[in-house]
Amino acid sequence: MNQSWWEFQVTGEPSLEELLFWRLQTLGAQGTASQVIGQMVRLTVYVPHPQISEETLTQLAQQLQADALTLGYTSPTVGWQIIHEEDWAQSWKAFWHIQPVGKRLLICPEWQTPPPTDRLVLRLNPGSAFGTGEHATTQLCLLALEAQALTGTILADIGCGSGILSVAALLLGADQVYAVDTDPLAVDAAQAGRDLNGFTPKQMTVAQGSIEQLAQRLPQPVDGFCCNILAEVILRLIPQFHEITQPGSWGILSGLLAAQGAQIADVLQGYGWHVVQEQYLGDWCCLQIQRTDALSQAA
Amino acid sequence: MAKKVVSIIKLAIPAGKANPAPPIGPALGQHGVNIMMFCKEYNARTADQVGLVVPVEISVFEDRSFTFILKTPPASVLIKKAAGIETGSGEPNRKKVGQITTAQLREIAQTKLPDLNANDVEAAMRIVAGTARNMGVTVAD
Repeated sequence: MNQSWWEFQVTGEPSLEELLFWRLQTLGAQGTASQVIGQMVRLTVYVPHPQISEETLTQLAQQLQADALTLGYTSPTVGWQIIHEEDWAQSWKAFWHIQPVGKRLLICPEWQTPPPTDRLVLRLNPGSAFGTGEHATTQLCLLALEAQALTGTILADIGCGSGILSVAALLLGADQVYAVDTDPLAVDAAQAGRDLNGFTPKQMTVAQGSIEQLAQRLPQPVDGFCCNILAEVILRLIPQFHEITQPGSWGILSGLLAAQGAQIADVLQGYGWHVVQEQYLGDWCCLQIQRTDALSQAA
Repeated sequence: MAKKVVSIIKLAIPAGKANPAPPIGPALGQHGVNIMMFCKEYNARTADQVGLVVPVEISVFEDRSFTFILKTPPASVLIKKAAGIETGSGEPNRKKVGQITTAQLREIAQTKLPDLNANDVEAAMRIVAGTARNMGVTVAD
């Protein structure tokens, strides 16, 4: 039988949140969800519809408003409606679709079957790390990877997120990718993505950290690297790029707003990097860069 | 990765027992978040706190991926634990069900301080004391 639920919502001052939580728990809900709406916080609980009467909800609303006034807060806004049970374990999947990117890649959610295709199929269980293929910055990186001659190369993926770029690089012919991310959730997600696509830990090494950890682990400088992080982080990392590269190595920098590209290019030049190509998608910019010999001579 | 947060959702749910039922399903499903993956990660990271409500703050990014951080248990949960009671009072003005000391109140406020809308521990104590009062728990030494 399809169950229905009372969705009971209270919007009030943030300081009231703890008190509201306590009162709402008296309904016997499994938990609460809250979201900041402007200067207020909105708490939502769900309770089984037939078991809780509307009269109970009315009494609770009055109680909550009385509580707030007693403590000197503005009276919260209270409302409720009936929602019908969905298969929430599955319904979120409706947001995700098979997605071609560039000329050679096809991103396919784990639970879907890819159509017959000449494209390289990149399997993904989208979730706990950035890099689902939906965002312009990821797409720009994938396009830039497609444009590189990757066969036999050793690469680094700095801020790997879901590992989508590392997996794409391996599909496109790279020999080995060393991926790092400071977020342990991303490390788990990248390892799962690697396994899902049938690559070995030797082909795709994933570790928690940043360039320092990469520099320690790399047996030799990389031929190229991807770095899809926000501009302020990339600016901090630029001085360290030489620790993992050699003259001639290339890089793909994404996560930059279009207006930030020129500033990043200026800084790169000071560290011996030359912008080979700029690509734009929506508000975002991707720089393909190459390390010039000037830096090695200076060093 | 280039993370631009589009939504922050906080859930107060029992540690180790996340599942797609409300509130998690409706709260995350509307954003296209991978609910099963969230439940798995949350349960793994709260397995050692089963029996407590452990709130979690979930950041949803533009590409519908997410990350989360665990927060401190709700004040009411900590108050019940400190007072040694199972539940609060339905009629807090007339029926008191427990008591905590000022030192316990301060300790709870200190624990909760990072997550409360309070600048110092005294302000946090006032918020926690308000919750205690409305649960029928008195503060006395």
